[in-house]
Amino acid sequence: MLLLLLVQLLLLNHIHLLGYATPVVMAYLTIPFHRGASRVGLLLWGFCAGLIYDVFSNTMGLGMATGTLTAMLQPVLLNLFAPADAPDDLRPTMRTMGTQPYLLYVLLTMLIYHTVFYALDAFTLQNWQVTLMAIGCSTVMAFLFVLFVQILLSSIHSSREQQHTRK
Amino acid sequence: MRNLIEFLQRYLYWLVFLVLEVVSLLSLVRYNSYQGSVAFTTANDAVGTAYRLGSNVVAYFHLGTENEALEAENELLRKQLHDLQQQLRQRDAASDSLPEPVEETESEYRFVLGQVVSMTVHKANNLMTIDKGERDGVRPEMGVVSSNGVVGIVYLTSRHYSVVIPLLNRQSQISCRLRGSEYFGTMQWERGRADYSYVNGIPRHAKVKKGDWIETNGYSDIFPEGIPVGQVVKIGDSADGMAYRLTVKLGVDFNTLRNVSVITNYTKPERRLLEQKADSLMSASEE
Repeated sequence: MLLLLLVQLLLLNHIHLLGYATPVVMAYLTIPFHRGASRVGLLLWGFCAGLIYDVFSNTMGLGMATGTLTAMLQPVLLNLFAPADAPDDLRPTMRTMGTQPYLLYVLLTMLIYHTVFYALDAFTLQNWQVTLMAIGCSTVMAFLFVLFVQILLSSIHSSREQQHTRK
Repeated sequence: MRNLIEFLQRYLYWLVFLVLEVVSLLSLVRYNSYQGSVAFTTANDAVGTAYRLGSNVVAYFHLGTENEALEAENELLRKQLHDLQQQLRQRDAASDSLPEPVEETESEYRFVLGQVVSMTVHKANNLMTIDKGERDGVRPEMGVVSSNGVVGIVYLTSRHYSVVIPLLNRQSQISCRLRGSEYFGTMQWERGRADYSYVNGIPRHAKVKKGDWIETNGYSDIFPEGIPVGQVVKIGDSADGMAYRLTVKLGVDFNTLRNVSVITNYTKPERRLLEQKADSLMSASEE
């Protein structure tokens, strides 16, 4: 979480595609929770992550509200895309869920997170085109970022396994 | 009773969800007009320090551009110095016969130099943190400028850090005028690009052309007059058609902004006027 926070604050908060779209990968924090995890715990986790984000970026309440909502929806979204024969304590990864359902799961979570985030940030319907653009661009960017990191991690993982088998 | 407990256990998460959301939304709404607590902002010492460490690293990557800007400013200042010296020489030659000036004008304001430690430009209401606080004499409502023009107004202060509302905030409203005229309007940013803002309220009979400079007019008690804000790039009409709506390219590049100055003891013109008025009343009553 700390690592993600650092990446968010020092790197991603400085990306402004077209001047206003900034990916918030804090949305990823609730994604890896397994099915059947304590919902209260999940909510508190989302809330705290949002609080830390807010303190560091002067957006009091924005990250908290969004984080809590995403944490509330996580089990629903996971069930939506989980394969029918998945175990009750399914851990969402590309391997356990299948590539396509997992990617859809991540993409939808990101979309909901960024929609709520930017809608609350704008707070009006004025300039709604700008808000829509910000939601679209930053969702795609955050999604690509998560994808990139996952592929990177899994390739490191598999190369380690290969080394192991060679020995 | 048991049913009730079971019910609560089953739906506890809904309760927690509602409580957390209400807390979040309350703080979201309250924070906008909330001056009291600096604990939950980047003016907080711990958060500010973390940011300073980060921005020290980032600063190295901007050294090149910073240097260029300083170089350019030096060049400009040197030229001004040269011009002024020449003027002074001419005046000296001409003013031998004139009496000495009676009173010396004191410098009206003092600058506290600071560095930006964190800044956003992508939100609807952006904020910026600088590494100077109450200990350095910075207080809320003071003006912040850089070598390229107006940056914003101090909003919150802690001992070592301050949060500034930059021009890139929908709540920021700065009274400004066209350079070389007395027509004034209000600059207000709209979410979108970080290098453009809008000036409303300049009357339609004012002569405006692209490339004209917009500067502070000194009506507010925050900025002295004549500090550049930006250059007109597009001339449009306001919604009611009564005034211009100017698109202005800001002088300050907020994406690379590092060094800023806080104006700490600007004598407020309003106060000065009042004092003058009081003085003249006093002298009148004595007579």
